[in-house]
Amino acid sequence: MKLCEFVRPASLSQARASLRKLGPKGMPLAGGTALHFMPGKTPVSAVDLTHLGLSYIRQKGNFFEIGAATPLSDIQRYRGPRWAMHEICRRISTHQIRNVSTIGGNICRVFPWADLPVVLLAMNARMVIYSGKLKEMDADEFFSSQPARLFRNGDLLTAVKIPVLKAQHGFGSVKATRNAAAFSMVTIAALLELKGGVIAAARVAAGSAIPFPKRLRSVEAALTGKEPSAETFRAAAALAGTDAKWCKQEGMSAEYVAGLAEVSIVDALERAAEFARGRTA
Amino acid sequence: MKTNTCSVSLSINGEKKTFATRPDEKLLDLLRREGYKGTKYGCGQGTCGACTVIMDGRAVYACLLYSMQAEGRKVRTIESMGTYDKPAPIQQELVAAGAVQCGYCIPGIIMSATALMETEKDISDEVAKEYMDGNLCRCTGYEKIWVALRRTLDRAAAEPAKKASPKGGKK
Repeated sequence: MKLCEFVRPASLSQARASLRKLGPKGMPLAGGTALHFMPGKTPVSAVDLTHLGLSYIRQKGNFFEIGAATPLSDIQRYRGPRWAMHEICRRISTHQIRNVSTIGGNICRVFPWADLPVVLLAMNARMVIYSGKLKEMDADEFFSSQPARLFRNGDLLTAVKIPVLKAQHGFGSVKATRNAAAFSMVTIAALLELKGGVIAAARVAAGSAIPFPKRLRSVEAALTGKEPSAETFRAAAALAGTDAKWCKQEGMSAEYVAGLAEVSIVDALERAAEFARGRTA
Repeated sequence: MKTNTCSVSLSINGEKKTFATRPDEKLLDLLRREGYKGTKYGCGQGTCGACTVIMDGRAVYACLLYSMQAEGRKVRTIESMGTYDKPAPIQQELVAAGAVQCGYCIPGIIMSATALMETEKDISDEVAKEYMDGNLCRCTGYEKIWVALRRTLDRAAAEPAKKASPKGGKK
């Protein structure tokens, strides 16, 4: 693509009107990092969303609300009660990219290696979308297929709402990479709810080693009602192949990736259980 | 669609400037054509860190920003740091440690280190490494760069204590 115009709307409604008018040639721009890698010479216009007050993190009732144009480094640095988002954000790319790249950019067009969709699926997050008025959509629906489908008519993601974890909740994420700043080979995120010494509910999601991030429902079912032990985690992780067809990657066979995914699932579950037992940072 | 000509106003190293640009011009290209050539072109795809500048207090890759994204922002380049005759502490330590080999990565390294020192307090090794994780040294001289950075951080940490001690305490 070739950037031919830079539009600076003064409000959300102006931004939406510009994008509707531009049609496929309109590109919402927050961090803008992805635009540099879009192939081809198709002329496009960038609609700058960075001056619309969409960069913030605040706790509102039972949710943390993160503005769609909030840089990943702000999420990494933020601390709130039982906040868990910083762990994955510090593992995304490099410091300079985290200072520019935004949560909205990471999830509105999902690339296969994206980490945040996996985390938001496990967290049961809610996305706030502006379509003339604000509406909310849960993560399962938002990530049921490529979210870009939701924004073709100029609608905009304005915020992501993440439930504040309760005392019995635990969250863990694991990202396997070749080196610190590399794209993910496997990303796993797990949310556990413990009650009376057993797992009352579980949400486990995977990404990167599969074509599109998804929940691992067989793993979740195998965890529910069981004690949060290493044996339980290993037995549940062994079922991941039922939910996901792991893809081979550069230098790695599909079997190797499946093994890596299983180990990562166990690690994520152990971290989640540890979190639920009292680790808060 | 014809590429529009546009203008961008920003502060560079404390000076307010306005430049004619194009929507697709990278900040890195604008800086270099306007004479800020200490900011290096390395990979051009946000990996190596040679083009690192500080924008509104944050280290960013100038090759992954369009010049128009700098509108109204405060940009600092390596030219805002020390001079040959009066180097900044990080520059002194890099030289003292023998950390400058080919030197191409050093402007970026200095800008990331500056962002670190101006943002964080009580800087642990873990935090320092997080701030430096986007800068590669093709000569692989990481150990000496790390020694220089740690010495600079230790010097900065000792400064307040030095200032707090009574004048002329040591005779």
